[in-house]
Amino acid sequence: MRMKRMRHALPYLLLTPSLLLLAGFTYLPIVRVVWDSLHDRPLGQKKSLFVGLRNYAGLFSDQAFLKAVTNNLIYAVGTVPLSMALALLFALALQRSSRVNAMLRALLLFPSMVPLVAAASLFFFIFLPGVGLFDYYLGKIGLRGANWLGDPDIALWSLIGITVWKNAGYYMLFYLAGLQTLPGDVLEAATIDGANAWQRLRHVIVPLLAPTTAFVLVIALINVLTQVDHVIVLTRGGPSNATKLVLYYIFEQAHENFAAGKAAAASVLSVAFLLAMSVVSLKTMERGTHAAS
Amino acid sequence: MRWIPSLAAAALAVLAPALADAQTKIDFFFPVPVDGKLAKEMTRLVKVYNESQKDVAVTAVYTGSYDETKLKAQAAANAGKPPAVVLMSANFVLDLKLSGDLVSLEPMLKADGTTREKFLSDFWPALHANATVDSELYAVPFQNSTPLLYYNKDHFKEAGLDPEKPPRTWAKLVADAKKLTKGSGDSIERYGFALPEGYDYMGWIMEALCMSNGGRYFNDEYGGEVYYDTPSMLGAAQLVEDLVFKHKVMQQGVVEGGAVSTNFLAGKVSMMLLSTGSLSFIRENMKANYGVAFVPKNVRNAVPIGGGSLVMFKGLNDEQKTAGWKFIKWLSSAETLAGWSRFTGYFAPRKSSYDLPEMKDFIARNPDAKVALDQLPYAKPWFATYQTVAVRKALEDEIQAVLNGKKKAAQAVKDAQRNADALMKPYVDQTALKLP
Repeated sequence: MRMKRMRHALPYLLLTPSLLLLAGFTYLPIVRVVWDSLHDRPLGQKKSLFVGLRNYAGLFSDQAFLKAVTNNLIYAVGTVPLSMALALLFALALQRSSRVNAMLRALLLFPSMVPLVAAASLFFFIFLPGVGLFDYYLGKIGLRGANWLGDPDIALWSLIGITVWKNAGYYMLFYLAGLQTLPGDVLEAATIDGANAWQRLRHVIVPLLAPTTAFVLVIALINVLTQVDHVIVLTRGGPSNATKLVLYYIFEQAHENFAAGKAAAASVLSVAFLLAMSVVSLKTMERGTHAAS
Repeated sequence: MRWIPSLAAAALAVLAPALADAQTKIDFFFPVPVDGKLAKEMTRLVKVYNESQKDVAVTAVYTGSYDETKLKAQAAANAGKPPAVVLMSANFVLDLKLSGDLVSLEPMLKADGTTREKFLSDFWPALHANATVDSELYAVPFQNSTPLLYYNKDHFKEAGLDPEKPPRTWAKLVADAKKLTKGSGDSIERYGFALPEGYDYMGWIMEALCMSNGGRYFNDEYGGEVYYDTPSMLGAAQLVEDLVFKHKVMQQGVVEGGAVSTNFLAGKVSMMLLSTGSLSFIRENMKANYGVAFVPKNVRNAVPIGGGSLVMFKGLNDEQKTAGWKFIKWLSSAETLAGWSRFTGYFAPRKSSYDLPEMKDFIARNPDAKVALDQLPYAKPWFATYQTVAVRKALEDEIQAVLNGKKKAAQAVKDAQRNADALMKPYVDQTALKLP
């Protein structure tokens, strides 16, 4: 009897440490943020009052928030497909192991090993209008550079460029791993059936890589919402809000505008969005796995 | 009897911890907005203080930039461990007071048998407004700066201008900048003039231009008013627009402060407005001959101050408060301030610091530091309102649109005013418009 109870308790006992950590550093903060998003602190007072959904309503009537959401969507569309496509391309090109390929892989992976803050600080000098490295080389081939970070029509695209440069090599790693697991016989069969390289890619490799793609997509989407270092270092959301992403908006509301409630509401929305996207993608991934097996 | 000293030493060693317990331990949060050497110097200063007396033991905590310092101080206060003394950006003082984070320093003044007026009389008048809220002292100025015109003397000579006669008016500034600009149309090699236009710096520079145009930018006695849609600000905004699009002497689009100084050092820009806080950086890195001068005026000479002040956070016990105030008084003594000023390039907030012989000597050896000092009598307070940062950004976003040719100056100042008013409305409704 006692043994049986022990056996029941054991899994929970083993789970306790990680459960405690998760509760302390993940679940409790989420609960706290949800609570915060429903409260607001009146001017000059230390006590918070319950305000219902007013913080959420405030978000949607705030032009800056809507602008941040729009910017984030453009940023997602600009970075995710391009960096994933590049990653797959690199992986396909470099999947065979050779000394040259190993070196090229390392080179492509290099940007993702530089911390984003450091990368952004480097790009500050690369993007300097007139005297920066980028404009210097453009000048060599007779082109004229732009004010890469100072023009609201261009600044967000400059940040997108940095992000793609930084992430493509990282995603390539996952695709390289994914390619290793592809069943060789299927590809051989396709080749024998007369499928050319494009048909093999389109009808065999890409479908078989669906689980990897779903996983990379989740990571890429998380990056879109959680990486903000380059914004802080290079533009601080400017010029004229052109590069203000949702996370930077949250930072601004919380720490510059003393609007903790609004910041919490925006956090809840972005976490909810991320959760939803992850569930959808991971479901797809599961289906992909079944299809492959 | 040679053993007596060692016996005394042994006794001291035993007693010392007991004595130390009688000390009040306090935390001092300080940011370093410029470069790394400052943190070392500050740590050294605190050590000197700790060794100079026995009542207070200060732990100096380096807390990053001004913004991070604000975050960390608020976080520590929320966690029930408020720092006794914080070196805070001077224009955050009003916001922090309004959100109930700061301790009024009036009781300490009273205990010392002095008054706010007497205490502040040795500080430059421009610094008073950012130290007081609703006629109560909340901050003690510690390190301060003003904008300054930097110009490349070699470029002046090359363009046929007198390198000892920098522009003193906007008219002369535009005329000189035109002569200094090299190239035309799409292939400009060198711009005559540049302004730091990223967030934060832009607002400060617009304040300088608006004030040089006779304006005030904001109501320095009430946190619910800014004067964006006014002739003085419109003139400043129009000047910025014209420098880019009419006179074509300034780069189109936003250029951050770091890019401006890099361009100036590289000889790609001939004149710029930048903080006096950059003096030592330019002095150390500039290869060409350069000079500094007052910010050119259109109506009058006037510049805003910037920099940091010492504040105390709520939640301290009486002992900590007394200890913190003692430390503040030591840090803000004429001697400490003079030493810090010489080391950093900030100007010393106390007038009497400049009567000290070592300071007179320093000014005599550094003529560019003298220009910064001479401009001080024309200095005015730094903008601080309810939601300072957001209200500042309301103007900056619009001027940045002007710089990119997306808006005309007249429309920009109107929109900036409307957005700023909307931001300050909650405060205005609870104060000036809360009627019986």
